Amino acid sequence: MTQQPLIQVKNLDLYFGAFHALKNVSVDFNAGELIGLVGDNGAGKTTLIRVLCGIHAPTKGEVFFDGRKVEKFHPKLAIDQGIETIQQSVGLCDNLSIARNFYLGREPVKRILGIPFLDFAKMREKSSRVIRQFGLRENVSADDEVERLSGGERQSVKIGRAVEFKNRVVIMDEPTNHLSVREREHVNELAVQLKEQGLLVIYITHDIFQVHKLADRVVIMENGEKVADASTDSMSAEALEDVIRQGGRVVEKQEAV
Amino acid sequence: MKYLVRSQGFGATVGVIAMLAVFTVIDFSGWWTVQTLSNVTQFTAILALVALGQALVIMTKEIDLSVGSIYGLTGVAFITLEPSLGVPGSLIVALFIAAIAGFVQGTAVVKGELPSMIVTLGGLFAARGIIYVWTGGSVHNFSPDARTHALTRLLGGELFGIAAAIYWVGIISLLLSIMLWGTRFGNRLLATGGSRESAESRGVRTDRVKTAAFVLCSLLAGFAGILTLCNQPQTHVTLGENMELEAISAAVIGGCLLTGGRGSILGVILGALIVVSFRYELIALGAPSSWYITFVGAVLIVAVIFNQKLARFLGHSV
Repeated sequence: MTQQPLIQVKNLDLYFGAFHALKNVSVDFNAGELIGLVGDNGAGKTTLIRVLCGIHAPTKGEVFFDGRKVEKFHPKLAIDQGIETIQQSVGLCDNLSIARNFYLGREPVKRILGIPFLDFAKMREKSSRVIRQFGLRENVSADDEVERLSGGERQSVKIGRAVEFKNRVVIMDEPTNHLSVREREHVNELAVQLKEQGLLVIYITHDIFQVHKLADRVVIMENGEKVADASTDSMSAEALEDVIRQGGRVVEKQEAV
Repeated sequence: MKYLVRSQGFGATVGVIAMLAVFTVIDFSGWWTVQTLSNVTQFTAILALVALGQALVIMTKEIDLSVGSIYGLTGVAFITLEPSLGVPGSLIVALFIAAIAGFVQGTAVVKGELPSMIVTLGGLFAARGIIYVWTGGSVHNFSPDARTHALTRLLGGELFGIAAAIYWVGIISLLLSIMLWGTRFGNRLLATGGSRESAESRGVRTDRVKTAAFVLCSLLAGFAGILTLCNQPQTHVTLGENMELEAISAAVIGGCLLTGGRGSILGVILGALIVVSFRYELIALGAPSSWYITFVGAVLIVAVIFNQKLARFLGHSV
């Protein structure tokens, strides 16, 4: 690909005290690509993502966003740059309506006598229109609390939000955990839809077979290192599974020889 | 009707209707008099202001035990500073003291990541201690000039036979409702109480939201103290003692869930009406005044059970 990568991670190292959580990781992420980020618990995939969404600052190495070097790491800055993270358990307030959740932190306002009031008409109309595209039932209104929604519908709200705010990167952290089979398929379709709209989608999962069907490229992490980075056309799911099963040991052996 | 049941104030509405029915049956001639009603509504207005501030804090999933002491401290500051600053000056300085107290406590809670129950328990003792030191235990009064000052009359007088505090609680509760349900700040306050982590993931500065809630709470408690003293300009060291418990009771009876993120402005006012009416009516019926605390306790427990059952019935996760 000749285009410049949207996110470029170069020789990233991250220590938590003495613990070496990320070891010299370099990855390119391109716009319009769906990338599966796979690895066991503690492999460093979530840590890598937390650097991208501004929660952790790297100890060493560089991150470029859209060609510019990222100097400061803060969640608010990442959100402002259009990096949206969708997590299973976080992101929606059960006590608020769909419309209020949809716009939380970026509420549109209408000035009456100079005082900014929430623009409820816009909040309702736009949020329900956007979320319906992503599979919200017809009988659910934007005024209903998100508490009423099923797991898949909750994901629809978060994904709809990611699209509405012209995000450029959507990071989906184990988006299908605790979902029924049908809901899982639905969320996976949404991930592909996002990609087709030109966004970069980073899909984190344990399940190589599931992501292999969706992704253009799979990156495998193990013990804080990147151990594989291959397009799904060039490597079968079975081959990638072998890499995971043998973990970093394959690489270590090769190095030892 | 559906809206009414779904709103958090439903329990308090039922409670008020039941209470009025009982009082009508057992003490019709004593309860439905102008004197009783004007006393009850005035005390209700004062307690409601304190409880409304408390409700904002509870909605962010914190609690403020210091409101009784802040109520007293602000009132004492208002009266004792008046000779040197005049009525408007001492009003501003007293409210400023209240705001500072709220800010310090709120900051300690969010920056120190401390439980608000402990921080504001410290605030309760600290502010009460300052009242004792400041007044030296003696009673302070307004001068005759200060009593007739236009501002004193505006805050403590009456209009068409209705105490000023009642107008004030009307205005303030309207403003708070608009703020809570119709502005960005309100949306973020409710979100902070509902799920702090989720709110932060959307870029909401929940530390600022919580601090602002504590400042508003202290300001409202202080303002209630000032309204009381404009009506009866005389300070005691015990001014506002145990008021935090009444305020929390009123907020909880009014449907504010301690799990955060849910509450009702109207419910809180009705909750305050229930607490004050019980106190007034038990004394009027000749029960020893100390029984009233027991009754409020019982009502509080019944209210919590009712509100929680109602919330579960409506499918909320509490």
